[in-house]
Amino acid sequence: MSIEVRGVGKRYGDFVALDDINVSLPTGQLTALLGPSGGGKSTLLRIIAGLESADTGTVDIEGVDATTLPPQKRNVGFVFQHYAVFKHMSVAKNVAFGLEIRKRPKAEVKAKVAELLELVHLSQFAHRLPSQLSGGQRQRLALARALAVEPSVLLLDEPFGALDAKVRKELRDWLRRLHDEVHVTTVFVTHDQEEALEVADEIVVINEGRIEQIGSPDQLYDEPANDFVMGFLGAVTRLGPLVLRPHDIEVAVAPGVPGSSAGVVQRALRVGFEVRLTVDVEGQDEQVLVVLSRAHARALDLELGSKVWLSPTTGATTVPALAVPREAVASA
Amino acid sequence: MADTRQIRAGKGPVTYALRTFVILYLAVLVVWPLWEVGSRTFAPLERGAESGIGPFLERLQDPTVTYAFGLTATCAFWAVLINTVFGVGISLLLTRYRFPGRRLLSVLVDIPMSVSPVVVGLALVLAYSSGQGWFGGALESAGIFIIGTTPGMIMATAFVSLPLVIREVVPVLEEIGTDAELAASSLGANGWQTFRRITLPSIKWAVVYGVVLSLARSLGEFGAVKIVSPGAELRGETATILIQNRYTNFEEPTAYAAAFVLVLASVLALVVVSLIRKEDRS
Repeated sequence: MSIEVRGVGKRYGDFVALDDINVSLPTGQLTALLGPSGGGKSTLLRIIAGLESADTGTVDIEGVDATTLPPQKRNVGFVFQHYAVFKHMSVAKNVAFGLEIRKRPKAEVKAKVAELLELVHLSQFAHRLPSQLSGGQRQRLALARALAVEPSVLLLDEPFGALDAKVRKELRDWLRRLHDEVHVTTVFVTHDQEEALEVADEIVVINEGRIEQIGSPDQLYDEPANDFVMGFLGAVTRLGPLVLRPHDIEVAVAPGVPGSSAGVVQRALRVGFEVRLTVDVEGQDEQVLVVLSRAHARALDLELGSKVWLSPTTGATTVPALAVPREAVASA
Repeated sequence: MADTRQIRAGKGPVTYALRTFVILYLAVLVVWPLWEVGSRTFAPLERGAESGIGPFLERLQDPTVTYAFGLTATCAFWAVLINTVFGVGISLLLTRYRFPGRRLLSVLVDIPMSVSPVVVGLALVLAYSSGQGWFGGALESAGIFIIGTTPGMIMATAFVSLPLVIREVVPVLEEIGTDAELAASSLGANGWQTFRRITLPSIKWAVVYGVVLSLARSLGEFGAVKIVSPGAELRGETATILIQNRYTNFEEPTAYAAAFVLVLASVLALVVVSLIRKEDRS
């Protein structure tokens, strides 16, 4: 195990940021800490990096108790949401910083910087200042700088949060490929479930200072531990006693399937290739959201006011609707 | 600038009235009095006497005058040095650490700005004079005299110009935030390395700006120094005190000459500051 977090707690006054967190992050994996803003995931990352100290608990990095070590002794690479590049240094100098601090020979520094700039595709910008780079380039620079010191773990705090959607997606793919090349144990914080599902080997879902679930993207999506995880990983709706995904609802125009609920289509919205239906189901206050493909909707000849019968598809991921879904669920 | 030009594209009578008013106001308050100092500096002493730059330089070469400017330079140098080191230190303390009494410290730092320099001088005398000061007695027995000596005058000057560096550096430190410093420490830099390689280059221009302001303020300091200094010729007479003494002793030409040098120094400081501003923006 590369990072071992045991019983970590952190409070800011009355606010509990982290409450008894226990998690092991295996060597060489790409792990995502996923959760809503203010849920404590960034705090956990900063505690692992030593940028903040935990009130209780311990952090082991590569078998060494790092709980009381200052950040410069932990051998971690940290990448900030807003890049934190050194504005007054050239791109090459930024990358060389950690090596120069370690007093490595000049030739070695030069070779390493060239190699890393190659890796992040910034070779031709080596002599520019960070202010002459785009946001995505700055973040790649920050990543190269963190990798230069050959950290035992690489920590990224919302690394793509400040970038626009297109660059975000590119960098996400690129990070995944980079990780497959470099194989350094990587932990990144994100509130974007798509980002986590796409990039990570393992996802730790954190909410209100607690871990909700740990698992692979498939596990989390297919076997969510509770309605929060279910809701955070994608859109959900309630059908009778179950919470399930809108695309896991079977729509029929005639009764037949036992246990199906009858309803009336209130709204039909077409977005690209899919059709989103809002259905008033008898005996349920909350309207049911159904998503189906345009072709399917056309085949069923659905329109406003159509009477439909809804039932979960076979093999649908469901969790029992115990309580009123939390805020995050509604917004997801 | 472009925006301002757009707003005031149409030059109506109001524009001209405002301009005339501002120019007149500045002329009456600043330009005309300073012009008088300049013209008196270079005016002939009496009818038929030599005028111009020669007598001006001659007056400045008087040993009492060179001593006064030397003392002013010494006081200003040490005061600025002390304020730069402590100013940067206190700025870091105020922006990078949370501790009880931080807000109080922040207010205390501003006191020299609002308290009259004369009161500062008086306070120093009360605290450090060997006769009545509650601290002076102890210092005297250790062989240290503050009041009436150059160290006392440096203290007074430093006190008065204390906030200038801090007021320039604190906003910049707050603006640049701690991310780059944290990044440096995660890359293995210790506190001193982080300060020297990351923090200092970022606040460089703010420090220089604060130093120039402190220097200008220190060169022109009068009230506080006047109280703690013996204020006699060749004994604790700084340039400003010299101007006062000569002026009241009917040696006006020397007073004008010294005053003119101080004006030149502040103009120089203003030029430096405006150059720094330009550099800082680019």
